[in-house]
Amino acid sequence: MHIRFTVKSAALAGMFTAAASISAQSPMSVNAPPPPPPAKVATMPARAAADMQAVLDQLPRLAAKPIETLTPVKARNQPSAADAAMAVMHAKRMSTAPDPAVVTMDMAYGPDPMQFARIYKPAGAPSGTPMPVIVYYHGGGWVIADVNTYDATPRLLSKQLNAIVVSVEYRHAPEAKFPAQHDDASAAYRWVLQNAQAWGGDLKRLALAGESAGGNLAVATAIYARDNRLAMPVHILSVYPIANSSKTLPSRTDSFNAKPLNTPMLGWFGYYYSKSPADMMDPRLNLVAADLRGLPPTTIVNAQIDPLRSDGETLAVAMRGAGDTVEQRTFPGVTHEFFGMGKVVRGAYDAEMFGIGKLKAAFDRVR
Amino acid sequence: MKLTYLLAAPVALFAALPAMAQVMTPADYVKTAGASDLFERQSAQSVLQTTANANVRAFAEMMLSAHAQSTADVKAAAAKSKVAVPQPMLMPLQAELIAQLNDETGAARDAAYIAQQKAAHNQALNVQKAYAMEGTAPALKAAANKIVPVVQGHIAMLMKT
Repeated sequence: MHIRFTVKSAALAGMFTAAASISAQSPMSVNAPPPPPPAKVATMPARAAADMQAVLDQLPRLAAKPIETLTPVKARNQPSAADAAMAVMHAKRMSTAPDPAVVTMDMAYGPDPMQFARIYKPAGAPSGTPMPVIVYYHGGGWVIADVNTYDATPRLLSKQLNAIVVSVEYRHAPEAKFPAQHDDASAAYRWVLQNAQAWGGDLKRLALAGESAGGNLAVATAIYARDNRLAMPVHILSVYPIANSSKTLPSRTDSFNAKPLNTPMLGWFGYYYSKSPADMMDPRLNLVAADLRGLPPTTIVNAQIDPLRSDGETLAVAMRGAGDTVEQRTFPGVTHEFFGMGKVVRGAYDAEMFGIGKLKAAFDRVR
Repeated sequence: MKLTYLLAAPVALFAALPAMAQVMTPADYVKTAGASDLFERQSAQSVLQTTANANVRAFAEMMLSAHAQSTADVKAAAAKSKVAVPQPMLMPLQAELIAQLNDETGAARDAAYIAQQKAAHNQALNVQKAYAMEGTAPALKAAANKIVPVVQGHIAMLMKT
């Protein structure tokens, strides 16, 4: 009796150890099942503005399933917030075709099929007048979405700032785990430094920008450039970055059930992009604990209804503490992914004008 | 001996768990591939009605034949794997995208078509690669393996437009 009991508890202990390692990190297959869901939190997110809510209402109409319940391959094929915004534009009889004022070209920067960039250029750009250059990183938690999903912001930045915008694709997790995305981001940055002049770019007016996971990459790549003594950007535009690995941030609770990004999705992304629990404390992910000294003036844009809101707010505090110039704004009544929806969401238009104004001022100061 | 056996079995079971894939079911794969081919054919038909661009026309015509072929390949494989092939239906997002395309005119429709194609082919490649890697019905898995390089070829062409 006694022996049997001991064996059972030993087996049980073994099972728990194994189970813990399952829930920490995924295998590298896109068919890897999702991690177990976190404990539910009952808080209801703040009410979205009517025009923002109209976009969110499209997601069920387009049959979007909760990302945190899916495998990566299924999650990648879900309708995105950008799809929802385009559906609203279509319902308002606006064109959803790409703005022809900007032309694009895809170019490889590395041997992997994912290592390419989409280069946006104003269609009527006169040759011989160098343009500012913006290296832009898309979002999607390093697991889902691509340069196609995030077309609105780079296209808008190119048009409004008469700039060359290099939207960087990068290897995705779980096929390629952290720090593959950071490595690709910095490789693409080096590639832009080598080639932008040939494209008509003026590297004295260089900026980094990104949204969500890409907002993280924009700041992390500036740190990389500083540490490797590369040419520095004159400005960083970081839109709702992943920047703080604390699990007790206010926005993780108050926006736990927000859409289109909720707190369980953040755990889902981490499960697929990290190799070990220690990765989450790496300063490239947990930017608030990085050496942030000597970074260029930075604009951080946040949405009120977003589990990543506190990331941007705490990053601003940390960067100021390190002596950087930072302007951070949290826009009310809007959610994660609102940036780039300016044609149908007023708060997004305001945030876009804010970010574009900061970049323009930074470029103008160089002349 | 018996003790060791008792102890090891559950641990081994759990240790094996992370490697277990939750791959699409054969029926789900057939349905997804069918919807994707239908979307390709309908959007090609839409842009062929209006385009004045020779490159867009050539690409759309190629999509009509390539996606008729992949539908035939998946159907044949499904028969071998004894998986029923339902009448293909667009997913809600695909129906919305076709409606958007049909409401554009001229060069705007061409541009919308190319933008949609870039997104749709990346998604199609995701599905085909995932099934080619770990699909459970051998004939369908072989069909996915055959379709992967075709989709990659289309993506390479789209990168040049």
